Amino acid sequence: MNDPIFVVARGKAAYPFTRIQSVVLHDSNDIRRAYADHRRAMWVLPDVRLLVTVTKALRARDVWHRLLILQRASTARRETLAALFRVVIAPDDGVQLLPSEALIEALASPKAEDLIIGGIVDPDDNAVVLYRGNLERLVVPLDWFRAGGKASKLNLSAFKVTDFGQTVCFGDFEIATDAILYEFDAEARKRMRERELTQNSSFGAALHRLRLQKQVSREDFPRVSAKTIARIERGEVEHPHAETLKIVARKLGVRVEEIGTY
Amino acid sequence: MSITIALSREWASKGWKVKIRDRERLEPPHVTILRRTLAWRLDLRTWNLLDSDPDPNDLPRPIVEELRKSQDELCRAWNEMYPGNPVRSRKRSQ
Repeated sequence: MNDPIFVVARGKAAYPFTRIQSVVLHDSNDIRRAYADHRRAMWVLPDVRLLVTVTKALRARDVWHRLLILQRASTARRETLAALFRVVIAPDDGVQLLPSEALIEALASPKAEDLIIGGIVDPDDNAVVLYRGNLERLVVPLDWFRAGGKASKLNLSAFKVTDFGQTVCFGDFEIATDAILYEFDAEARKRMRERELTQNSSFGAALHRLRLQKQVSREDFPRVSAKTIARIERGEVEHPHAETLKIVARKLGVRVEEIGTY
Repeated sequence: MSITIALSREWASKGWKVKIRDRERLEPPHVTILRRTLAWRLDLRTWNLLDSDPDPNDLPRPIVEELRKSQDELCRAWNEMYPGNPVRSRKRSQ
């Protein structure tokens, strides 16, 4: 179940959020009560002028509230908010967010956590920080996007999120959000596997999927023959040797016990 | 570069899109039919939907029929993008 969405807004600013399941907070009493009554919630602030009402109303607690501001906020303001909210997302320099209609729909989706609403590229650390529809962050190394020899030159300056949070783009290079989450979030992977209509949940089938996902061929495993990998994938090896599994896991960049989750 | 398959105006105007993106979940080969926050994965080997959610009944059948007419083109596009995990040729799968 999604966390509740609180929208701090007055007048017309609240209107777009009336289409989704959210609670509009109009004044400091509403804000204080919502903050106190919930340990986890998503907050949206369309108009930064109301930040002062938020900061006046609240005293920091150990909670898992996340805040999305839809206008730019100064560093000082963001520092203040960082004391009150676990995550603060704002369209500051370099941050790309979905267009507002798509953004609101993604936040309200029952699958919000499996959608990406925006992000920011960090070229210095060779990573992209993605913001999910539940306002949690996910850090993905840029090298992952380049795997398989594709996109040797990612257009980092053309980073954006489209398709209501289902596609992440670097210019013409597009990545399915579910492919990212399948790789980097074990819980999301579990949810996706549960949704599959015909799934082969054997270890061999999982290894096959993982190997293809990582774009590694059967010949690429040091000291393990392609034939052995094929036999494991077909389920012909009941208990693969521990050393074989270690080599396979190392090559695929996962822990041995994770192989079966793919 | 990812591929967006052109749907007829009737569906495109209602926000339906079909894509094979540069990075997808690779197994099995599929196209993704998108509408707003929803996505249906259509298996290029069996032409069945891969997931129970979103509800398969919410995907208009004419869209699948339209895609089926471009089957060879879609399989070729997937194979070019993901040569390590090709759609089996129709001959072999029959």
